[in-house]
Amino acid sequence: MRKFVTVIAFMVVAIGLFAGYSNFGIPQIEPAPPPIEEKIDLGSMTMDQYVALGERLFNGKGTCKLCHNSLGRAPALDAISTNAQERLDDPRYEGEATNTEEYLIESLVSPSAFVVAGFGKKGTNDTESPMPDASSGSISFSQAELTAVIAYLQDNAGLEITVEIPSDLEPVIEDDEDEDAEPREAFTEIRDIVENFDCEACHTITEEAGDAGPKLSTIGAKRDRDYLRRALLNPNADIAEGFEEDLMPDDLGQQIYASELEILLDYLTALK
Amino acid sequence: MKIPRLLQAVVVIAGVYFGFLIVFDYLLGAVIPKSLLTMYMFFVAAGVFMVFTYDEEKTRELVAPVKALVEDPAKRGARNLVFTLIPLLIGYSVYSQLQPGFEAPVELRTIHPAPPSTAKIYGKRVNLLSLENPFRKVEKEDPEKFAALVSDGAAVYIKNCQYCHGDKLDGKGPYAEGLNPTPLNFQDIGTIAQLQESYLFWRITTGGPGLPKEAAPWISSMPVWQNFLSEEEIWKVILFLYDYTGHRPRSWEH
Amino acid sequence: MIIIDKIAGIYSLKSNRNKLVPWVVIVLLALVLLANDAHQNTIEAAQQVAEAIEDQAAAARTHVPAPKLTAADYPTVAGVNGRLVVWVVAQLHLWFAAFVLAVPIFVFIIEAIGMRTRDKRYDDMAYEFIKVSITAYSLTAILGGLLLFSLILFYPHLFTYLSTIFSETMLYYALLFFAESAVLYLYYYGWNWLQGGFRKWVHLTLGLMLNAVGTTLMLLANAWLTFMMSPAGVDPAGVFSGDSWAAIHNFLWNPINIHRFVANIAYGGSIVGAYAAFKFLTARNQQEKAHYDWMGYNANFIAICALLPLPFAGYYLAAEIYAYSQQMGITLMGGIFAWLFIIQAVLIGTLFLSANYYLWCGMGRSDGAKRYTKYIKYIAIVLVGSFLVWFTPHTLVLTNSELKSLGGPHHSILGPLGIMPAKNTAVNIMIIFTFLSFLFYRRSNKIATVSWEKTGNICQVALFSSGIANILFLGIYHGYFTNTVYKVAASIPQVVTTLVVIVGSLVLDSFIYRKSRDVGPLHWGRIPERAQYALFLLAVAFTWLMGLMGYIRSGIRQHWHVVDIMRDASAQAFTPTLGYAANVVSVAALLFLAMVIFVFWIAQVSSSKTLPAGYWKE
Repeated sequence: MRKFVTVIAFMVVAIGLFAGYSNFGIPQIEPAPPPIEEKIDLGSMTMDQYVALGERLFNGKGTCKLCHNSLGRAPALDAISTNAQERLDDPRYEGEATNTEEYLIESLVSPSAFVVAGFGKKGTNDTESPMPDASSGSISFSQAELTAVIAYLQDNAGLEITVEIPSDLEPVIEDDEDEDAEPREAFTEIRDIVENFDCEACHTITEEAGDAGPKLSTIGAKRDRDYLRRALLNPNADIAEGFEEDLMPDDLGQQIYASELEILLDYLTALK
Repeated sequence: MKIPRLLQAVVVIAGVYFGFLIVFDYLLGAVIPKSLLTMYMFFVAAGVFMVFTYDEEKTRELVAPVKALVEDPAKRGARNLVFTLIPLLIGYSVYSQLQPGFEAPVELRTIHPAPPSTAKIYGKRVNLLSLENPFRKVEKEDPEKFAALVSDGAAVYIKNCQYCHGDKLDGKGPYAEGLNPTPLNFQDIGTIAQLQESYLFWRITTGGPGLPKEAAPWISSMPVWQNFLSEEEIWKVILFLYDYTGHRPRSWEH
Repeated sequence: MIIIDKIAGIYSLKSNRNKLVPWVVIVLLALVLLANDAHQNTIEAAQQVAEAIEDQAAAARTHVPAPKLTAADYPTVAGVNGRLVVWVVAQLHLWFAAFVLAVPIFVFIIEAIGMRTRDKRYDDMAYEFIKVSITAYSLTAILGGLLLFSLILFYPHLFTYLSTIFSETMLYYALLFFAESAVLYLYYYGWNWLQGGFRKWVHLTLGLMLNAVGTTLMLLANAWLTFMMSPAGVDPAGVFSGDSWAAIHNFLWNPINIHRFVANIAYGGSIVGAYAAFKFLTARNQQEKAHYDWMGYNANFIAICALLPLPFAGYYLAAEIYAYSQQMGITLMGGIFAWLFIIQAVLIGTLFLSANYYLWCGMGRSDGAKRYTKYIKYIAIVLVGSFLVWFTPHTLVLTNSELKSLGGPHHSILGPLGIMPAKNTAVNIMIIFTFLSFLFYRRSNKIATVSWEKTGNICQVALFSSGIANILFLGIYHGYFTNTVYKVAASIPQVVTTLVVIVGSLVLDSFIYRKSRDVGPLHWGRIPERAQYALFLLAVAFTWLMGLMGYIRSGIRQHWHVVDIMRDASAQAFTPTLGYAANVVSVAALLFLAMVIFVFWIAQVSSSKTLPAGYWKE
C-alpha cells in the first residue's frame, strides 16, 4: 500500500511540475479572440429585421435614395402598390414579370427592361434607363440583399410582403466593404472607372446622362485639379449652385484606388 | 583524500551555475536571463542526480552523509543547526520573492507574431501569404539595375531608418538608447534572416500600431511607414536590408 | 515462474484430454470466414439499400452545404461547458485507444519472437501484455461511446454535418468494431488453448488479423479528424461531392496516420512499462521481481525504439501542415503556439533523460558493466547539454534590467540557439547518444572473442565521430551561413546521418560480438527501485505530452470546426492560453492515470484467489 501511494504521489507531482511549468514557466499569451462574424445570419432573422436590413441597404450600400427621392429624379417608390400593375399592363411593357414582386426584381436587375416614361436616359426615348444593375457593379447586391430591398419596398408601400427570407443562401454581408474579398484589380481605362463608380448616374460627362449632379463636360476649364480632388473625396465641401447637398456619395475615397483617382483627375482636368 | 560524493554533486552543480554566470556575464558580456538559467539549472541538477544515482552502491554513498545527519545520535548539534537553517532559508527566499520591488514586471512580447493572412496596406487589401517583393526578380535579370535599386533603398534607409536601427543595421542608432524595446538588430541571425520579405513589408508599413494582439503590449515605437514612404521605397529598403547584412529572405521554395 | 508453470500444466492437461481441438480450430476458421462473408453480405445489402435510397432521392436531395451556426445552435446542458467535456472525453478515449491499438502490434511481434526462439518467457510476456490491454479495451469502447454521446449532445450540427459526409465510413467503423472485439476476445481467451504447432500459427494469424482490423479502425477515425483540418471532397460551401474516398484521403490523412502509428507504439510501450514497474515494486519474491524487471526492460526497449523515429514523423507532419496551408503552419510554429513547443521540448527531454537513466540503472544487472559505466557521465553531459540547447526559446523572458544590459531583446549567444537548425542538431545528437547508452547496455554482459575487436572498436569510434561531426557541420554551416531554404533542407541529411550511424554501428557491433561469451548470467531484478520511477515518469510524460500535442493538433483549426468551411460559432470557440490548455490536459491525464491504475489493479485481482474457510458446504 505504501508503494501504491508513493507511485500515485510521484505521478501527481510529475503532472504538477508539467502543469506548473506551463502556467508559470512560460509567458501566458492570450490569443486573439475569433474574428467577429460580420455576416448576418438569415436563419435567425424575423421579417421585421429583414425589412430593416432592406431599408439599410436602400439608403446605404444600394445608394438608391440618391435618385429615388422626393426630388423626382427617378420614379417614386411609395406608390408601387398601384404603379407596378399599371406598368405590367402598359402596352410598351415587354418584360417577363407577371406580378409586383417579379416586376420589382426585374427593375433592379435589368432596369432597362421597362423605362417609365420621362425617366429614360436623355436621347434614348425612354428605352434605356440611367439606373445601374443593382446586382453587379459598384452596388453588387447578393440575392438575399435584393430580396431584402424588395421586402422593404413592399412594406414601405403598404403592400403585403410576398418575398420569403432565403435560408439556403450565402448570408448577407452588411458592411459596405467585404473584408475577406480579394482586392479588385485597379482600372486603368477611364471608361472603366466612370462605369464602375457610376458617375453618369448623376453627371453628364460626354454624352447626355444624369442631371442630379453638375455637368462635367467642360469642367476642366472651370475648376483646377485640387478643387476636383476635393470634390471627389469630400463632395460636401463645396456644393455647386443649384445642387443638393449629401447627394454625392462621400465614401468614394474608400473605394477608389489612388491610381484610379489620378487617372480620373487627369481626365476631368482635360475636359475643356 | 577522497571527496564525499554528496560534496562532489554539490560542487558540480555549483560549478555549472557559476560557470554560466562567469562565461555569460563576464567573459561574453551578454547576461544570461535569470528565467532561463533557472530552467537550465533544474535540468543540470536532474542530470547530476541521474549520474550520481544510477548505481545502487554509489547512491548509498551519496546519501550516507544525509542519512547520518538525520539518524546518527552523535550528530545532534549539526542536525539541529541544519533543521533550523533550512526553514529559515526557505522563509527568506519566500519573503524576498513576495517583497514588493521597484522593478517593473517582466513584459513579454512576441517579436515575430504570426502575420494575418491579409492586411490593409496603402488602402488595399494585400494577401501577405502570396505577396512578393516586385524588385526581387531584378536581382537575376539585371544585376546592375538591382544594384541601383539597392542603393536607392540605402538612401531611403539613411534618411529614415538609421536614426534608430543604426548605420550598421545593428540596432544601435543614435536614438536607440532612448527606446524600449530597443530597435531590432538586422545583423542578428534571428531577425530578418528568419523572415519572408512580405513579413518585413507588413511590419514596416503598419509599424507598431499594426501589431496583432498576441504581440501586446504595443510598446513598439516603429512608425507606420505607409504614411510616410511610398510602396516602392519600402520594397527598396527591404532589398537594402538583406543586401547589406548578407542575409537571404526566407522563402519556401527553392 | 511458478504461476507460469501452473498455467502451462493446466494447459497441457487440457490439450491431452481434448483431441478435438484441431477440428474445433478448423470449424472456427470456417465460421470466421462465413462471418466475414456475412459481413460482406450485410455491407453489400446496406450498400444496395443506400443506393436505392440514393436513386430515389437523387433529384431532390443533393448534399447540403455546411451550416452557418450561431451561438444559439449550441445547446447548453445543465450549465456544463460542452467544449471541456468533449475535449476531456476525446482525450481519454484517444489515450486508451492508442494503448489498445499499440499493444497488439508488439504483442504480435513478441509472440512471433517467442515462436522463433522457442523461449516461453516471450509468450508469457506477450500474454501478460494483452491481458492488461483487454480491460482497457472495454474502457476504450465506453469512452468512445461517451465521446459520441457528448458530441451529439453539445455539437449536434457539427455531428450531423460530418455524418452526412462520413455516413458510409461510420457504418464500416461500427462493423469493424465488432470484428475487432470478436478477434480480440478470440485472441486473448484462446491464448492458452491455441498452443503448439499448427494451433500456434492459427493464433498468430489471429494476432495479425487483430492488428489489421485495429489499424483500419484507426485510419478511419483519423480520416474524420484530418477532414476537419484539411477538408477534401467538398466545395468551398461545404457541399459534399459524394466521393467518400476523396474525403478520407485528404491532405493530412497520411501524415497523421504515420505519426499516430509510430507514437502509439511508443506510448503503448511506456504504459506497459509502467505496468511492469508497478508489478516490480509490489513483487513479493525475487522470481516475480526478475520477471517484471525483464518485462519492464522490454517495454522500455519498445518505447525507445518507437521514440527515436518519432521526431522525424513529427517533422514530416509539420512540413505537410505548412504545405497544406502556410497560415496554419505559422499558427503552429510561430506566434501563440510557439511557446507550446518549448513545453514540448521540456517533455521530450524528460522522456530521453528518463529512458537513458533506466538503461544506466539496468547496467547493474550485469557484472561486466563496470567496463562501460565510466563513460556514462560523458553521455550525460552531452545529453543535458543538447537538451539545454533544445529548449532554449527563441523569445527570451527578460527582466527590464537584463533588457537594458543586453541592449535589446536579442541575445547574441542564446539567440542563435533559439532557431530550428540548432534544435535539429541537438535532437539528432541526443538520439545518437541515447543509442550509445543502449549500445553500452548491450555490450555490458558480453566479451568479444574476435581477433579484430580493437579495430572494430576504432571503426565504431570513427563512425560515431564522423556522424556527429557531419551533423554539427550541417547544422552550423547550413543553419547560419547559407540561405534559409537550406535550413529546413539540412535537417534531412542530418536525419540520414543519424540513421546511418545507428544502423551501421548495430551491424558492426553484431559482427564484433559474434560468438562472444557472456561475462556471467544476467541478474534480472538487480536494479534499483528508482529505475522503476523512471519508467513511471516515461509513461506520465508520454501521456501528458500526447494530450498537449493533441491540443495543438486540434487547436490550430482555431475557430473552425472544419477549416474554412464550417465555423465554430459557440462561445467556446476561442483559443485558450497555454496554461489553460495545460490544466485541462493535466486533469485529463490524472483521470486517465487513475483509470489505468484501476486497470492494473483489475488485472491483478483477476489472478488472485481468496479461499474462505468454512463458507461453502463441504
